[in-house]
Amino acid sequence: MKELEHDSRNNLEGLKGWLNPSRYGWERISYWFQRITGVFLLIYFIGHVYETSTIVNGQNAWESFLELTQTVWGHLFLIMVIGASTFHSANGIRLIFTHVGIGLGTPGRPDYPYNPSSLNYRQKSGIWIALILSAAAMYYGFTVLFGE
Amino acid sequence: MERHRMLKESQIMKIHYITGIAAIFVVAVHILMRLIVPFGSSLEYDYIISNYKNIFYVFILESILVLISIHGFNGIRIILLELRQNNAWENMITIMTISATIALIAYGTRTIILANGL
Repeated sequence: MKELEHDSRNNLEGLKGWLNPSRYGWERISYWFQRITGVFLLIYFIGHVYETSTIVNGQNAWESFLELTQTVWGHLFLIMVIGASTFHSANGIRLIFTHVGIGLGTPGRPDYPYNPSSLNYRQKSGIWIALILSAAAMYYGFTVLFGE
Repeated sequence: MERHRMLKESQIMKIHYITGIAAIFVVAVHILMRLIVPFGSSLEYDYIISNYKNIFYVFILESILVLISIHGFNGIRIILLELRQNNAWENMITIMTISATIALIAYGTRTIILANGL
Protein backbone atom coordinates (compact mmCIF):
# COMPACT_ATOMS: atom_id res chain seq x y z
CA MET A 1 0.00 0.00 0.00
CA LYS A 2 2.93 2.27 0.72
CA GLU A 3 3.91 2.21 -2.97
CA LEU A 4 0.54 3.69 -3.94
CA GLU A 5 1.19 6.70 -1.76
CA HIS A 6 4.23 7.68 -3.80
CA ASP A 7 3.67 10.32 -6.44
CA SER A 8 6.13 8.66 -8.82
CA ARG A 9 5.49 5.09 -9.99
CA ASN A 10 8.15 4.82 -12.67
CA ASN A 11 8.21 1.65 -14.70
CA LEU A 12 11.56 0.10 -13.77
CA GLU A 13 12.28 -1.43 -17.17
CA GLY A 14 10.77 1.34 -19.32
CA LEU A 15 11.24 0.98 -23.08
CA LYS A 16 13.71 -1.89 -22.54
CA GLY A 17 11.01 -3.89 -20.79
CA TRP A 18 8.52 -3.02 -23.49
CA LEU A 19 10.85 -4.33 -26.20
CA ASN A 20 12.06 -7.43 -24.32
CA PRO A 21 10.91 -10.46 -26.39
CA SER A 22 11.96 -13.09 -23.83
CA ARG A 23 9.64 -14.54 -21.16
CA TYR A 24 6.67 -14.10 -23.47
CA GLY A 25 5.40 -15.91 -26.57
CA TRP A 26 3.29 -14.97 -29.56
CA GLU A 27 1.16 -12.73 -27.38
CA ARG A 28 4.18 -10.46 -26.91
CA ILE A 29 4.74 -10.28 -30.68
CA SER A 30 1.05 -9.42 -31.08
CA TYR A 31 1.43 -6.75 -28.35
CA TRP A 32 4.31 -5.17 -30.29
CA PHE A 33 2.56 -5.38 -33.64
CA GLN A 34 -0.59 -3.77 -32.22
CA ARG A 35 1.42 -0.81 -30.94
CA ILE A 36 3.83 -0.50 -33.87
CA THR A 37 1.00 -0.67 -36.44
CA GLY A 38 -1.04 1.79 -34.36
CA VAL A 39 1.76 4.38 -34.26
CA PHE A 40 2.53 3.81 -37.96
CA LEU A 41 -1.16 4.23 -38.90
CA LEU A 42 -1.47 7.45 -36.87
CA ILE A 43 1.60 8.89 -38.63
CA TYR A 44 0.08 7.86 -41.99
CA PHE A 45 -3.28 9.38 -41.00
CA ILE A 46 -1.72 12.75 -40.11
CA GLY A 47 0.16 12.67 -43.45
CA HIS A 48 -3.04 11.72 -45.28
CA VAL A 49 -5.00 14.59 -43.71
CA TYR A 50 -2.21 16.97 -44.79
CA GLU A 51 -1.99 15.40 -48.27
CA THR A 52 -5.73 15.75 -48.89
CA SER A 53 -5.67 19.37 -47.67
CA THR A 54 -3.69 20.33 -50.82
CA ILE A 55 -6.92 20.00 -52.80
CA VAL A 56 -8.14 23.36 -51.45
CA ASN A 57 -5.20 25.02 -53.30
CA GLY A 58 -6.58 23.95 -56.67
CA GLN A 59 -6.09 21.25 -59.30
CA ASN A 60 -2.38 21.92 -59.95
CA ALA A 61 -1.46 21.70 -56.27
CA TRP A 62 -3.47 18.48 -55.91
CA GLU A 63 -1.93 16.82 -58.97
CA SER A 64 1.63 17.83 -58.16
CA PHE A 65 1.30 16.43 -54.63
CA LEU A 66 -0.37 13.29 -55.97
CA GLU A 67 2.61 12.68 -58.28
CA LEU A 68 4.78 12.21 -55.19
CA THR A 69 2.62 9.30 -54.04
CA GLN A 70 1.92 7.69 -57.42
CA THR A 71 5.29 5.95 -57.59
CA VAL A 72 6.41 2.36 -56.96
CA TRP A 73 7.62 3.35 -53.48
CA GLY A 74 4.39 5.25 -52.84
CA HIS A 75 2.38 2.16 -53.78
CA LEU A 76 4.55 -0.12 -51.63
CA PHE A 77 4.02 2.29 -48.73
CA LEU A 78 0.23 2.11 -49.29
CA ILE A 79 0.42 -1.71 -49.28
CA MET A 80 2.18 -1.48 -45.89
CA VAL A 81 -0.66 0.77 -44.69
CA ILE A 82 -3.24 -1.79 -45.91
CA GLY A 83 -1.43 -4.61 -44.08
CA ALA A 84 -0.98 -2.58 -40.89
CA SER A 85 -4.60 -1.43 -40.78
CA THR A 86 -5.95 -4.95 -41.40
CA PHE A 87 -3.75 -6.47 -38.67
CA HIS A 88 -4.54 -3.64 -36.23
CA SER A 89 -8.31 -4.05 -36.83
CA ALA A 90 -8.42 -7.86 -36.64
CA ASN A 91 -6.10 -8.10 -33.66
CA GLY A 92 -7.95 -5.20 -32.01
CA ILE A 93 -11.23 -7.13 -32.27
CA ARG A 94 -9.47 -10.14 -30.67
CA LEU A 95 -8.30 -7.88 -27.83
CA ILE A 96 -11.82 -6.53 -27.28
CA PHE A 97 -13.15 -10.11 -27.08
CA THR A 98 -10.35 -10.96 -24.64
CA HIS A 99 -11.09 -7.89 -22.53
CA VAL A 100 -14.73 -8.94 -22.10
CA GLY A 101 -13.68 -12.52 -21.29
CA ILE A 102 -14.40 -14.26 -24.60
CA GLY A 103 -11.76 -16.85 -25.57
CA LEU A 104 -9.98 -16.88 -22.23
CA GLY A 105 -11.11 -20.37 -21.23
CA THR A 106 -12.10 -21.45 -17.75
CA PRO A 107 -9.80 -21.13 -14.76
CA GLY A 108 -8.08 -24.38 -13.85
CA ARG A 109 -5.82 -25.76 -11.14
CA PRO A 110 -2.27 -24.47 -11.66
CA ASP A 111 -0.19 -27.53 -12.61
CA TYR A 112 3.36 -27.78 -13.87
CA PRO A 113 4.57 -26.20 -16.21
CA TYR A 114 2.07 -23.54 -15.08
CA ASN A 115 1.03 -22.34 -18.52
CA PRO A 116 -1.73 -19.74 -18.04
CA SER A 117 -5.04 -21.05 -19.38
CA SER A 118 -5.81 -17.59 -20.78
CA LEU A 119 -2.95 -17.88 -23.30
CA ASN A 120 -4.60 -20.74 -25.15
CA TYR A 121 -5.06 -21.91 -28.76
CA ARG A 122 -8.01 -19.51 -29.23
CA GLN A 123 -5.77 -16.52 -28.56
CA LYS A 124 -3.01 -17.91 -30.79
CA SER A 125 -5.55 -18.65 -33.56
CA GLY A 126 -6.77 -15.05 -33.31
CA ILE A 127 -3.24 -13.74 -33.83
CA TRP A 128 -2.71 -16.05 -36.82
CA ILE A 129 -6.09 -15.05 -38.33
CA ALA A 130 -5.05 -11.38 -38.03
CA LEU A 131 -1.72 -12.11 -39.76
CA ILE A 132 -3.36 -14.15 -42.56
CA LEU A 133 -6.05 -11.49 -43.16
CA SER A 134 -3.32 -8.87 -43.24
CA ALA A 135 -1.34 -10.82 -45.86
CA ALA A 136 -4.50 -11.35 -47.95
CA ALA A 137 -5.38 -7.64 -47.81
CA MET A 138 -1.82 -6.71 -48.83
CA TYR A 139 -2.04 -9.11 -51.79
CA TYR A 140 -5.37 -7.56 -52.85
CA GLY A 141 -3.87 -4.08 -52.48
CA PHE A 142 -0.92 -5.16 -54.61
CA THR A 143 -3.22 -6.36 -57.42
CA VAL A 144 -5.20 -3.09 -57.34
CA LEU A 145 -2.20 -0.74 -57.17
CA PHE A 146 0.12 -2.58 -59.56
CA GLY A 147 -2.53 -4.21 -61.72
CA GLU A 148 -3.46 -1.08 -63.69
CA MET B 1 -3.88 11.40 -2.61
CA GLU B 2 -6.99 10.76 -4.66
CA ARG B 3 -6.89 12.18 -8.15
CA HIS B 4 -10.00 13.64 -9.72
CA ARG B 5 -10.55 12.80 -13.35
CA MET B 6 -13.32 13.62 -15.80
CA LEU B 7 -13.33 10.02 -17.04
CA LYS B 8 -12.13 6.77 -15.50
CA GLU B 9 -9.57 4.74 -17.45
CA SER B 10 -12.20 2.00 -17.88
CA GLN B 11 -14.53 4.54 -19.53
CA ILE B 12 -11.71 5.83 -21.77
CA MET B 13 -10.98 2.21 -22.78
CA LYS B 14 -14.64 1.78 -23.81
CA ILE B 15 -14.36 4.94 -25.92
CA HIS B 16 -11.16 3.52 -27.44
CA TYR B 17 -12.92 0.28 -28.41
CA ILE B 18 -16.08 2.00 -29.71
CA THR B 19 -14.10 4.48 -31.85
CA GLY B 20 -11.96 1.61 -33.17
CA ILE B 21 -14.93 -0.55 -34.19
CA ALA B 22 -16.83 2.42 -35.68
CA ALA B 23 -13.71 3.48 -37.61
CA ILE B 24 -13.53 0.04 -39.30
CA PHE B 25 -17.01 0.60 -40.79
CA VAL B 26 -16.53 4.19 -41.98
CA VAL B 27 -13.04 3.49 -43.38
CA ALA B 28 -14.53 0.51 -45.25
CA VAL B 29 -17.02 2.91 -46.94
CA HIS B 30 -14.15 5.33 -47.70
CA ILE B 31 -12.12 2.54 -49.38
CA LEU B 32 -15.18 1.33 -51.30
CA MET B 33 -15.54 4.85 -52.73
CA ARG B 34 -12.00 4.43 -54.19
CA LEU B 35 -12.82 1.00 -55.63
CA ILE B 36 -16.21 1.59 -57.31
CA VAL B 37 -14.27 3.37 -60.09
CA PRO B 38 -10.76 2.45 -61.37
CA PHE B 39 -8.26 3.39 -58.65
CA GLY B 40 -6.45 5.96 -60.85
CA SER B 41 -9.73 7.70 -61.74
CA SER B 42 -10.79 7.78 -58.07
CA LEU B 43 -7.91 10.18 -57.37
CA GLU B 44 -8.77 12.65 -60.16
CA TYR B 45 -9.42 16.21 -58.99
CA ASP B 46 -13.01 16.41 -60.28
CA TYR B 47 -13.97 13.07 -58.73
CA ILE B 48 -12.52 14.09 -55.35
CA ILE B 49 -14.33 17.45 -55.44
CA SER B 50 -17.60 15.66 -56.29
CA ASN B 51 -17.00 13.46 -53.22
CA TYR B 52 -16.63 16.55 -51.02
CA LYS B 53 -19.96 17.89 -52.33
CA ASN B 54 -21.80 14.69 -51.44
CA ILE B 55 -23.33 15.29 -47.98
CA PHE B 56 -23.40 11.57 -47.12
CA TYR B 57 -19.72 11.25 -48.00
CA VAL B 58 -18.84 14.44 -46.11
CA PHE B 59 -20.45 12.88 -43.04
CA ILE B 60 -18.35 9.74 -43.56
CA LEU B 61 -15.13 11.80 -43.93
CA GLU B 62 -15.83 13.86 -40.81
CA SER B 63 -16.64 10.66 -38.89
CA ILE B 64 -13.34 9.09 -39.99
CA LEU B 65 -11.50 12.23 -38.94
CA VAL B 66 -13.07 12.37 -35.47
CA LEU B 67 -13.01 8.62 -34.76
CA ILE B 68 -9.42 7.96 -35.88
CA SER B 69 -8.08 11.13 -34.25
CA ILE B 70 -9.59 10.17 -30.88
CA HIS B 71 -8.62 6.48 -31.23
CA GLY B 72 -5.11 7.20 -32.52
CA PHE B 73 -4.07 9.84 -30.02
CA ASN B 74 -5.61 7.90 -27.14
CA GLY B 75 -3.54 4.91 -28.31
CA ILE B 76 -0.42 7.07 -28.19
CA ARG B 77 -1.43 8.23 -24.70
CA ILE B 78 -1.81 4.60 -23.55
CA ILE B 79 1.63 3.64 -24.96
CA LEU B 80 3.33 6.61 -23.31
CA LEU B 81 1.63 5.95 -19.96
CA GLU B 82 2.83 2.34 -20.11
CA LEU B 83 6.43 3.55 -20.34
CA ARG B 84 6.38 5.90 -17.40
CA GLN B 85 3.96 6.75 -14.60
CA ASN B 86 3.84 9.83 -12.43
CA ASN B 87 1.32 12.63 -12.06
CA ALA B 88 3.27 15.28 -13.99
CA TRP B 89 3.98 12.92 -16.90
CA GLU B 90 0.39 11.65 -17.05
CA ASN B 91 -1.06 15.17 -17.00
CA MET B 92 1.37 16.40 -19.66
CA ILE B 93 0.67 13.44 -21.96
CA THR B 94 -3.10 13.82 -21.52
CA ILE B 95 -3.01 17.56 -22.31
CA MET B 96 -0.72 17.04 -25.31
CA THR B 97 -2.78 14.24 -26.83
CA ILE B 98 -6.09 16.09 -26.34
CA SER B 99 -4.56 19.21 -27.94
CA ALA B 100 -3.20 17.18 -30.88
CA THR B 101 -6.61 15.51 -31.35
CA ILE B 102 -8.40 18.87 -31.44
CA ALA B 103 -5.78 20.37 -33.81
CA LEU B 104 -6.00 17.46 -36.28
CA ILE B 105 -9.82 17.45 -36.26
CA ALA B 106 -9.84 21.23 -36.80
CA TYR B 107 -7.36 21.04 -39.69
CA GLY B 108 -9.21 18.16 -41.39
CA THR B 109 -12.59 19.86 -40.91
CA ARG B 110 -11.18 23.02 -42.52
CA THR B 111 -10.28 20.96 -45.63
CA ILE B 112 -13.76 19.40 -45.76
CA ILE B 113 -15.49 22.79 -45.46
CA LEU B 114 -13.25 24.54 -48.01
CA ALA B 115 -13.36 21.66 -50.51
CA ASN B 116 -17.16 21.54 -50.18
CA GLY B 117 -17.28 25.18 -51.27
CA LEU B 118 -15.01 24.76 -54.35
